[in-house]
Amino acid sequence: MTFLERDPLAPQAWFGNLPAAHRYTYGLAGERFFRALKDEGKILGSYCPKCDRTYVPATAFCERCLGELTDWRDMGLVGELHTFTVLYVDVEGRPLETPQIVGLVSFGDGGIVHFLHADPESLVIGMPMRAVLKPPHERQGSILDIQYFEPFQA
Amino acid sequence: MRKVAVIGAGMTRFVRRALETPKELSWEAARMALESCELTMDDIDAVCFGTAPDAFDGVHMNGEYASDGAGGWRKPFMRSYVGGGTGIFVPIQGWYHVASGMFDVVLVVAEEKMSSYYPHAQAAFLTIFDHTTERPLGPNLLWIFALEMNRYMSTYGLKKEDIARVAVLHKRNAAAHPCALLGDANITVEDVLNSEVLAWPVQRLDVSPVSDGAVAIVLAAEHVAKRLTDKPVWIEGVGWHLDTAYWTNRDLVYPRYVEYAARMAYEMAGIKEPRKEIHIAEPYDPFDYKALHHLEGLQLAPRGRAIELYLDGTAERDGDLPICPSGGLLGVGNPIAAAGLMKIAELFWQLRGEAGERQVPGNPRRGVAQAWGDLMQVGTVVVMGR
Repeated sequence: MTFLERDPLAPQAWFGNLPAAHRYTYGLAGERFFRALKDEGKILGSYCPKCDRTYVPATAFCERCLGELTDWRDMGLVGELHTFTVLYVDVEGRPLETPQIVGLVSFGDGGIVHFLHADPESLVIGMPMRAVLKPPHERQGSILDIQYFEPFQA
Repeated sequence: MRKVAVIGAGMTRFVRRALETPKELSWEAARMALESCELTMDDIDAVCFGTAPDAFDGVHMNGEYASDGAGGWRKPFMRSYVGGGTGIFVPIQGWYHVASGMFDVVLVVAEEKMSSYYPHAQAAFLTIFDHTTERPLGPNLLWIFALEMNRYMSTYGLKKEDIARVAVLHKRNAAAHPCALLGDANITVEDVLNSEVLAWPVQRLDVSPVSDGAVAIVLAAEHVAKRLTDKPVWIEGVGWHLDTAYWTNRDLVYPRYVEYAARMAYEMAGIKEPRKEIHIAEPYDPFDYKALHHLEGLQLAPRGRAIELYLDGTAERDGDLPICPSGGLLGVGNPIAAAGLMKIAELFWQLRGEAGERQVPGNPRRGVAQAWGDLMQVGTVVVMGR
């Protein structure tokens, strides 16, 4: 029996739901990071001179020393493939028609998780990956303004 | 057990809707607390973090999510959550981290961002009720408070216009707090009585506002505290206590959960006559009648008679027992966990004589702060002195 089948011996149950809708603010750092992504097509990082760390996506503070980060840097659109996976089923457990690739692309001391467009056989950890952005007029200040990352040849 | 002092404090403004993320609010408060005692994260041995339901911020495991802002990176880190009682419980947790001898210096941060819940945080409270006996009725917290307030008023024959004096005093006090959301130096009893009825007898101005904000303090063991400051404020007693999980079975007129928490804290502090030995009280005041309730539980007034403290001027900033000189939740605001820790920060500033315009005269030596929460059945109490 799978989890989705009804157990005829199960006790009487009461259905309820937990309503939860949220409206999140971008925050101090998010306002600046996503505005740069939307308006300028840039991925920004923030650098802590005390701890010598570069946070990507940029943060307002260094988590190590709690110092304020004012040195913001354009990280470019090319990062390094840190790891990836190939998805064959969706969250409901149904097979995907086309397997989907998700990867972690490193920038500075952080990175961005996103979809990858590539032949999985061609992916090698450590290879350069480039962000492909939506056209400027379609960007909304969202992580989905990056459509995907693809292998990059300089 | 070792003696534990509060040596620094910081807080953000309490606002209706903050731009900052939960991480960023936590960071702002934590950084201010560290700067106030000239410490850096290198000096911090452990971090205690308080935040109320994950539902408000809209992030499951919110304590862990916001931990970077609280300085949790590569530190022993622990989040506590006892609902509305969290803001007074998280310094207790910090206290036993230090009192036990485990850590010398602990950063305590409390944060809440209630504005993320859309359209209103009240809907999150629906989920705390019993799913079978209560939730089908669509209850919210105002129901409980209104039912409790009516019972309290009826039992002692209290009048709405008297209870409104609590809201008036606290909101007037808050007018002198730079971080306050609802300070109003000119508010009157009529304003409260004329405000919108939400769930009779609870009206708009009887209630504290939904808010965003964060507060942080730094705790240190005696040998460290004495090296770092000549004005340590000692945590002299702590107490916490739980009543029945069925709010229908609880005494709605008298908060036992506060009494037992207070007795635990008073015994530790060596206090025998609280009304004489405590100079400032910061009872938990999410609703005006609730401050009265809690003052009685704290043994600072006989049952049904806490209102007299407000009617005869005792509760005022220059009265014999100033109550909520900060402005309380009614005036400063109520970002749940942060609101409780705000009361601890207020006692810290008051007992050091650093409360500025809000300063209680006469060099107060000892104060008590209290919060209440969980499923309305937990009492948390801290006694501080210098």
